[in-house]
Amino acid sequence: MTGSLLHLALPLGLGIAAFGSALGLGSAVGKAMEAMGRQPEAAGKIQVGMVIGCAFIEALTIYALVTVFVLQGKL
Amino acid sequence: MTRRILLLCAVLIAMGFGGAFAESEAPHGTPPAATHEAAPPGEHGVTPGDAHPAEEGGGALLELPDLIHNLKVYFGGPGERPENLIDYLFAWRGNIFALLVLIVISIVLLRGAAKKEMIPGPFQNAVETVVEAFYNFIHGILGRHAREFAPFLGTLFLYIWFMNLSGLVPLLKAPTSLFETTLALALCVFVYVQITGFRKLGVLGYFYHLVGSPTDVMGWALVPLMLPLHVIGEIAKPVSLSLRLFGNIMGEDVLIAVFTSLGVACLAWLGSPVGIPLEFPFIFLGLLLSTIQALVFTLLSTIYFSQMLPHEEEHGH
Repeated sequence: MTGSLLHLALPLGLGIAAFGSALGLGSAVGKAMEAMGRQPEAAGKIQVGMVIGCAFIEALTIYALVTVFVLQGKL
Repeated sequence: MTRRILLLCAVLIAMGFGGAFAESEAPHGTPPAATHEAAPPGEHGVTPGDAHPAEEGGGALLELPDLIHNLKVYFGGPGERPENLIDYLFAWRGNIFALLVLIVISIVLLRGAAKKEMIPGPFQNAVETVVEAFYNFIHGILGRHAREFAPFLGTLFLYIWFMNLSGLVPLLKAPTSLFETTLALALCVFVYVQITGFRKLGVLGYFYHLVGSPTDVMGWALVPLMLPLHVIGEIAKPVSLSLRLFGNIMGEDVLIAVFTSLGVACLAWLGSPVGIPLEFPFIFLGLLLSTIQALVFTLLSTIYFSQMLPHEEEHGH
């Protein structure tokens, strides 16, 4: 019974986490692109900052994914 | 020279640690051991994609078979405890593939540095371009400290990058898709960052940094609050570094394995020995992700180093 509940909960939880990350990534990358368009000479610095920020945002989804991996044995 | 020896020791310790971790894990039959138990040798021909769906194994992660995995399936012992040589090879496979990657990198770089000529040949030129580009990248963040840390960070980047990419090569497994490898790497970075803190800031300066560098009464009053926060922050760094790399590479490999098995399942009713290469687009995604994750790991390590370096000198230039 718990297995069937997990079958629903794991993808749903991962989807919610991915949804939040998608919002964050969209706004971060969009703002970075705007900044690069306004100041093309600073593109390198902006890009480094953007990649770091993206890594932090994406990590949240990855934590959810790791949870899925951990709980996979119980499915 | 001593720096190089230190670096070598760090890498060796990292690998030894990974192996010890895998070894201690194997007898308990926790997920890694239990997972591969479930994947039987293929029934219809042997394609790289005959990793079976998880029906028979309960909750097994799909995984493309690698060389040692195949050996284990055919020659390994039946139980979860390691019994013969193949089982021990299997428990240490992260190290074996990592060693393979190390050998490849060493050969490439040694050949690139074998004859240092003023007018470089094409091979030396290519290697020097990579090294120089990476040095400039580090220099942009660390400034005048770049020379000290660039060798370590460059090694880290190349090592992780090649390990990630080896997951896309048939019969190889990305060592970074095993948690023990990424944890060992992240702990290496963690220890080196703390040692750098002690060396550059001094013992008192290190603890001053750890309580949040208070400058006024308000800052000193907040020390009991800030100290645990900073300690937890320091400990969270290797955890997040290792989990991020592991999750990304593992996810990428599982994705490719799932689509491979889908492609095999599409043609299985015809008895075809090969499947549709459905995983093809995801290999390009894998190439991209491998590079980005190696870069992110290195970039974050660089940031951690730059946080530990004295701040007042940064304003000088």
